[in-house]
Amino acid sequence: MNQKTVRRLPIYIALILLALVSVVPFVWMLATSFKNGPDVYTQVPQLLPLDKKTGEWNPTLGNYEYVFTISGLGTAFWNSVWITCVLVPLKLLIDALAAYAFARIPFPGRDKIFVLMLAGMMVPTITLLVPRLHVTQMLGVYDSPWGIILPNVASVLDIFLMRQFFRTLPVELEEAARIDGAGRMAIFWRVILPLSKPVLAVVTITSFIFHWNDLVWPLIVLNSPDLYTLPLALQQLASTESGRAYYIMAGAALAVVPVMIVLLIFQRRIMQGIAFSGLKS
Amino acid sequence: MASPVVAQRPAETPARPGRRRRPGIGRRDHLIGWLLIAPAMVYFIIFLLYPALAALYYSFTEWDLHSAPIWVGLQNYTDLFFDDVKYPHFWKSIQVTLQYTLVAVPLTLVTALGQALLINAVRRGSNLFRLLLFLPVVTAEAAVGAIWRWLYDPQYGLVNAVLGLVGIPRQNWLNTPELVIPALAFIAAWQCGISMIIYLAGLKSIPESIREAAVIDGAGPVQRFFKVTVPMLRPTTFYLVVTGIIAALQVFGLVYVIFSGGGNRSVTGGPEQSGLAYVLHIYLYAFRYNAMGAACAMSFILLVFIMIITFVQFKFMKQEAS
Repeated sequence: MNQKTVRRLPIYIALILLALVSVVPFVWMLATSFKNGPDVYTQVPQLLPLDKKTGEWNPTLGNYEYVFTISGLGTAFWNSVWITCVLVPLKLLIDALAAYAFARIPFPGRDKIFVLMLAGMMVPTITLLVPRLHVTQMLGVYDSPWGIILPNVASVLDIFLMRQFFRTLPVELEEAARIDGAGRMAIFWRVILPLSKPVLAVVTITSFIFHWNDLVWPLIVLNSPDLYTLPLALQQLASTESGRAYYIMAGAALAVVPVMIVLLIFQRRIMQGIAFSGLKS
Repeated sequence: MASPVVAQRPAETPARPGRRRRPGIGRRDHLIGWLLIAPAMVYFIIFLLYPALAALYYSFTEWDLHSAPIWVGLQNYTDLFFDDVKYPHFWKSIQVTLQYTLVAVPLTLVTALGQALLINAVRRGSNLFRLLLFLPVVTAEAAVGAIWRWLYDPQYGLVNAVLGLVGIPRQNWLNTPELVIPALAFIAAWQCGISMIIYLAGLKSIPESIREAAVIDGAGPVQRFFKVTVPMLRPTTFYLVVTGIIAALQVFGLVYVIFSGGGNRSVTGGPEQSGLAYVLHIYLYAFRYNAMGAACAMSFILLVFIMIITFVQFKFMKQEAS
């Protein structure tokens, strides 16, 4: 036992070092975000928010206040919150309905359509950006929140994942419900969805993280600063205030912390989901 | 729920061979099926199929998004490849992207495999380490870019401070052309968590009996790693290499954030275009110079490249399977 612990010691040391490399950037981000401007730029890196001259404890929330109000990251934060909260459930519904049909309702041409959709996944996002921008302009949703929501409102990958899961559910359950007189939709709501919580959770969480973090599409489809989502506002902040790390790190913390909380709560599901979708695709 | 009815079903089913359900429900089922996929289908046509085909069409045109596209045939493609006055950085962007891929993918996979092996070797705390090593993955690329710009800061950055402890002199990481790719690849390796999780799943799927057999045959840890673990992980590695290459070829958000600065949406691609990733190059032509036709042509070249890689992957996997 004791010998075993000794043998594992180098492994733990290596893991701790790796974990430090992984985590220290975030610690440094938070540390910088609570410092007063002059205290940030010290020759020897200083973790705690101490006054540069006197060495006294000197933390501040001023950076958060500044980016939240003056740099517009407050508006952007709420834009991101409500866009994600509309987009993710809507996307989940559209994807789940389609996935159910692809998994369980036989109709002519179904599998051909499905294969076509899967082939569409190969197209790199960058190829689609220009025509998608044009489409949003034609639909009249350019430079509006719907310009973000509509082009993201379904996902072939999520349909694929849910379809794979639905197919593992026993058909007998559905047929029993059918004989009891339940229609397709009743079966979908009362039998399939309640049994599919694991896959629904994975898809919801990964969608939330993806859309909360997405920079590229908002960058292209939004023009008015008061519509910016958080990543876009952060990018702008990083570009215009590039000399003021304390503001930028406060902005980065606003973007990072909510996702970290989601990760902490749902870590097991996320890891399972990645192992599952990663190995299957 | 209605278990007696379930019990009757098996007796009922074989009575109608060839037809699984009552006649009449079939056509209504078709309709429901179509209705259920209709929203996804509309999305697919408007935001995937049409854009993909439109991009192909626009790649043969000169187009600024506002006036009508002018058909120019293959000129965008030939100009991209051969006219280095019109597109001075096209080949440079390809070179940068290939270099980045060549450095970032192996570095990421080796890091991920190392992390997975270490986590797999311990019981206590393995979940905590897994979580901590996964944190960088869920971070928005805007934040990743912002954080690492600060870490790589030549004067006050933490990276230089840490390297200073072991006697490595200060570097201006993001402003020295030769250092840009290594600096970016390090960030990619920092974000290797997904590969790490997939490697962990791969390691868990290696049967204990094989490892034990190797131990009985007198194989040491190093021998076991190269003769058992690595071969058993081959499918996983292959999958991660392919997806890693495809992702690395499309690197964009990070370089965009890192090399944007000094005001409103101005991005150049780093010192001497050393960070001018291919997709960033496309982005600049599309959304800064309004050369939509050329941008679409470039993006189609990328698409073909990715399709070839995917095709090779399929071939290989079939070979492995048979």
